[in-house]
Amino acid sequence: MSTYVYAFTGASHPLPVDSLVGVGERTPPLRLVRHDGLTAVVSDAPERLRAKRRDVEAHERVLETLSAAGTVLPMRFGTVAANDEAVKAELASRAERYAELLKRLKGKVEVNVKAVHSEEPVLRELLLGSQELRNRSEALRASGGGSHQDKVEFGEQLSAALDDRRSQDAEQLVAELRPHASAVKLGPPVDGCFVNVSFLLGVTEREDFEAALSRLRQERSELMEIGLYGPLPPYSFLTSGEAGD
Amino acid sequence: MTVMTQASGGGGRSGSLYDVIELILDRGLVIDAFVRVSLLGIEVLTVEARVVVASVDTYLRFAETASRLQLTAASDTKTLPELVEAIADDDTKNGSKLVQARKEGSR
Repeated sequence: MSTYVYAFTGASHPLPVDSLVGVGERTPPLRLVRHDGLTAVVSDAPERLRAKRRDVEAHERVLETLSAAGTVLPMRFGTVAANDEAVKAELASRAERYAELLKRLKGKVEVNVKAVHSEEPVLRELLLGSQELRNRSEALRASGGGSHQDKVEFGEQLSAALDDRRSQDAEQLVAELRPHASAVKLGPPVDGCFVNVSFLLGVTEREDFEAALSRLRQERSELMEIGLYGPLPPYSFLTSGEAGD
Repeated sequence: MTVMTQASGGGGRSGSLYDVIELILDRGLVIDAFVRVSLLGIEVLTVEARVVVASVDTYLRFAETASRLQLTAASDTKTLPELVEAIADDDTKNGSKLVQARKEGSR
């Protein structure tokens, strides 16, 4: 039976695993594999794992519960070892690296920020800011809307201007929030958001960070919607210096 | 997942697993000695399908929205009736345009 791995923790973690179940149809109980000061939280691996709600949710619930109770190193979803011995061997062979990571992430959580533009107000600003775009729009309207090709070309021009605006706003948002966090990591622009970024926050940073975010939300409520998700286990901050990214 | 602060406004950006699924599927510790269960197809579907690529349809929508907006954006000097007209024309639900129209009127 192979072993599904959720997270590594240090010796001081309270490990509240009794109330939790693992991934898979059979919702297996969680087990602990220990080596020296390190503990791996694992379960029997299901025969079939799916990136569907049930299994992803189970994985996430385990990690969030562990993360709320203490520092964890979260595994990527779907990580399976040959057996418990292989997990122990991994803890033994890279004990120093994991201890170092746990120390660096002590008491820290990840929060994720995603922001989307409100399309109309942003297009309005772009038009107001560019004589060229205004002229073109005016010319199209004067000719009764313009041909399909004209509209596509104009739309493409607007899209390019919007892309510039997206990068500018993304950069600015990150720059405003970065001073309140320990680390930052950019993600892909999913679901039309112009910025998808994670921050690593220490206990003392959380209040300031949230205040800064609330300020930004208020200032920019007409142009964008800013979503904040977390606290999460530090998914995005697990690479130590030598590992790179 | 606990959500520290709800997103403002009613744009459906409430917290859920889906909002951070790319973190769960694409981040986290990867260990060479362990196997990652093969999820490739699903993963690509889940994450990359959510990256919106601009298309002709998007361009047409931008162009149409822009020509509609021109009514309120064309002139820096607006009379009150024009403003009222602009606001009445507005088909958005949240009333933020009212503020927008005022700002433009004062420029």
